[in-house]
Amino acid sequence: MTSDTATRARVLVVDDAATVRLYHNSLLSEAGFEVSEAANGLEAVEASLSAEFDLYVVDVNMPKMNGYTCVETLRSETVGTAAPVVMISTEDRPGDADRAYQAGANLYLVKPVAGDRLVRVATMLTAGREEAA
Amino acid sequence: MGLVRKQAPQQPEEALPDRPPVETLLAQLDDPDPDCRREAALGLADITTAVPDLLARVGTEDDPRVLESMLTTLAAHDTEDVAGGLAVHLTSDEAGLRTAVAAALATMPRSVPALLPNLLAAPDHDVRVMTAMILADLQHPEAHDWLVRMICQDPHPNVVTGAIDALLPSATEDDADLLRDAMARFPDDPFLRFTVNSALPRLTGTA
Repeated sequence: MTSDTATRARVLVVDDAATVRLYHNSLLSEAGFEVSEAANGLEAVEASLSAEFDLYVVDVNMPKMNGYTCVETLRSETVGTAAPVVMISTEDRPGDADRAYQAGANLYLVKPVAGDRLVRVATMLTAGREEAA
Repeated sequence: MGLVRKQAPQQPEEALPDRPPVETLLAQLDDPDPDCRREAALGLADITTAVPDLLARVGTEDDPRVLESMLTTLAAHDTEDVAGGLAVHLTSDEAGLRTAVAAALATMPRSVPALLPNLLAAPDHDVRVMTAMILADLQHPEAHDWLVRMICQDPHPNVVTGAIDALLPSATEDDADLLRDAMARFPDDPFLRFTVNSALPRLTGTA
């Protein structure tokens, strides 16, 4: 990642747990991403209506609007973003990943996610943005 | 994750003169119009005989606003039967349902403690994570102690991390060793380590 603010990939971290947001924010910021936060799906949708993001990192279990509904809304005409979405959850039951992919996620990861893996995934999923720029 | 703290359920009014008959409201629970179902769910507040009908629809109601109204009405009863009837949905495949149910249970301090032994021993660790979320918002004097027990005893790092996240808002310096011990139990969990290392300076006054 470049440190140039104008070209840094913008990531929206969506999680109702402040510690999780802090964790993902610190990992991605240190790796050179420009990170914003939302505490639930509704905030994420609102943020996406006023700003563009290159990647979403979304929790599943959240109040007000859960992660699946959030991703579905991001993919719907309401927002209409094609930016990659990584869903991260404690849920590792059969079908959870399928549910995430049906909603429109590009990747489903089960907590705990190692920091280097999250950065690697974020870099990979935003690489196309840099090539397209 | 934490839950949105809801206000404690209000005491039912003594008389609702304009309320339709209970039979009418129960029939409206199956109305195709979500607004009608929502009105019925709210109208059945304090009607004990309506509890089974409401509980039976919690798992099938597909409108979030109606579901929230049903859960508000049910949670106001705060009985073990209602809490037990709601807790079964903590394993639901529907994220919206299990999150809404957890939020409702967090407003039931009289009845939820009776469920805790089973919830804390649930074989599905995701249920135990949800239990930590419930305890985060449960207005009960022993909520802190239950979270401490989860942190000390639960074998799954995600549950322990969830319990720590729930404990942190009320944690004090006395909890510092508890967090250090948890980190020692799961030395390879990056998020748990981050959570504890972020919290310790504040707890110990070294921030």
